[in-house]
Amino acid sequence: MTDDDLERAGEFVLGTLPHAERLAFQARLDREPDLQTMVADWQERLSALNEAYAPVPAPDLLPQIEARLFPTARATSRRPLWHWLAGVATAAALFVGAVVLFPVLRGPEAQPIAVLGAPDAPLRFAARHDGDNLILERIAGPAPAPGQAHELWVIAPGAAPVSLGAVETTLTVAYPAPPAGWTLAVTLEPAAGVPHPAPTGPVVAAAEITS
Amino acid sequence: MDDPIAALLQRCAVQDRAAFRELYAATSAKLMGVLLRMLRERHEAEEALQEVYTRIWLRADRFDPGKGRGMTWVIAVARNLAIDRLRMRPMETDTDVVEMVADTTPRAENRLIALGEARAIAECFGLLEPERASALRGAYLDGASYADLASRHAVPLNTMRTWLRRGLMALRACMEGRRA
Repeated sequence: MTDDDLERAGEFVLGTLPHAERLAFQARLDREPDLQTMVADWQERLSALNEAYAPVPAPDLLPQIEARLFPTARATSRRPLWHWLAGVATAAALFVGAVVLFPVLRGPEAQPIAVLGAPDAPLRFAARHDGDNLILERIAGPAPAPGQAHELWVIAPGAAPVSLGAVETTLTVAYPAPPAGWTLAVTLEPAAGVPHPAPTGPVVAAAEITS
Repeated sequence: MDDPIAALLQRCAVQDRAAFRELYAATSAKLMGVLLRMLRERHEAEEALQEVYTRIWLRADRFDPGKGRGMTWVIAVARNLAIDRLRMRPMETDTDVVEMVADTTPRAENRLIALGEARAIAECFGLLEPERASALRGAYLDGASYADLASRHAVPLNTMRTWLRRGLMALRACMEGRRA
């Protein structure tokens, strides 16, 4: 190891490396175990300073974080209760005990919730929700080139995009119906690594949920 | 070595979602404190907190308990994200940073001295020139850049960089010396 690397690792941990040098250092860090050890040593060496960070109770952001990381699991673990309650409320308000209504409530037809892309746009997607699943279908335009993917993102107001997966012709994903004010967007991404933690490519179609 | 956070991180690395929830409960207040102090804006800190836990889950397999403690590692993830965000801000307004450092530094120092494990670094800090020690703390705790620190201490940027590099190496030498 060189003293220069040792100093640079210290500056990286301190946070003072100028931005361009910081990016270059991070790229090296991913592939150089010696550098990783130096960084871990500096982190431990300076860790006593961490005592100066006073804890501040954080809001429970786990639902958003888990929705971002595990969209399908969240839908299956959390949806049934409110889905059930909503169903009960609707049934009670309309037809108490009307068992025959069940197929109507379930709705075999998925309801349209948004069209992504203007009517004359080269690429358009229709979004529907069938009570359990969000369904996105490409209704105009070509499939992405080999090695690329159309990736669907759901964006809550003020939150970071959450990937729901890649759209071949149709994407069906177990996910609650996004409420009004949320945005659905499709970006062009590398096919490898879907779902990505964050979008990097251009938005090819998007729509805000309005009802 | 008893390190409950390290144990949770190792379970996260094998996709244990229950461990992830425990980790959030055990560390989110500390990480929120880090992000609030560095980003100084509640909404951005909360948004950053979501990003931090996303990264922690995705990178938990890179945590090596042989190289450091679990809490140190998760704080490093939070600080790195905050520093990246600070450096991407178009223009840093420096005055509020200065006030915050002036406000919290004595308290931070008292806390350091009160903690047995932190005594080494507190004593080694004590050997540095006070102005350089203060610049080091401002960089680490608030994410101040060389440009911020140079204008705060009224020295040229290159001088500030030399101060901090020498300060870091002096700290290292002091702490290695105490360990020997």
